[in-house]
Amino acid sequence: MPGSTENGRPMKNKIKVFRAMNDMTQEDLAQAIGVTRQTILAIEKGKYVPSLDLAFRIARKFNVTVEDVFQYENPSLTVDID
Amino acid sequence: MKKNTFYLIVGCIALALLAIFWYSIEVHIRFLVEVAFIVAIVIIYAIRNTVTDIIEDERTAKISEQAALRTFQVFWVVFCALSIGAVMQILYIPTFPREDMPVRPHEIAGPRIMGYFQLGLLCLMIFLYVGFRIYYARKYGEWETDEE
Repeated sequence: MPGSTENGRPMKNKIKVFRAMNDMTQEDLAQAIGVTRQTILAIEKGKYVPSLDLAFRIARKFNVTVEDVFQYENPSLTVDID
Repeated sequence: MKKNTFYLIVGCIALALLAIFWYSIEVHIRFLVEVAFIVAIVIIYAIRNTVTDIIEDERTAKISEQAALRTFQVFWVVFCALSIGAVMQILYIPTFPREDMPVRPHEIAGPRIMGYFQLGLLCLMIFLYVGFRIYYARKYGEWETDEE
């Protein structure tokens, strides 16, 4: 399932958006954070969920937080804070 | 060294190994191909460290890891099942009571054949690994394409 983790949980990301904002190609980003272009492509398409280490490296490359780039959308885990 | 140069050298080494393999068959020197294989692997690992392009990251490592794990999980069950059967056949003991010693049944496959079969299974493990590797590479988007 595209945009999902291995467990079928929805994990989405905005890497493509941030790349466009920073005028970067997949190859540029891949080289900057030390992975292959195919890995960036796989993450963007939701085929692969990166490790925390890689997620932080991606977020820091764009000068944003991890949650700005990656969204974990599981309604059952949301908590209402009064 | 660039990634493509590395793959080119690996291809040349593979061809050289093939030539050495057939030569060692012709001259009946088993030792030759064994040493050549070890030397080839050492060379490949040595030049792999000089590649400047990124050829391995956490996703490719995960693909290898998952494929190896699944291969092992399937392989050890099949291999052990066959080996237990082979041991039972080799250590054939007549059943109790022993008054009427049963005649040892005709062997379907002797110990030597069993050994060859195990060797064959070991070779098949390579194909199993390649199959799992293709499966996980596909799962983790190895051959995905996009507009870029």
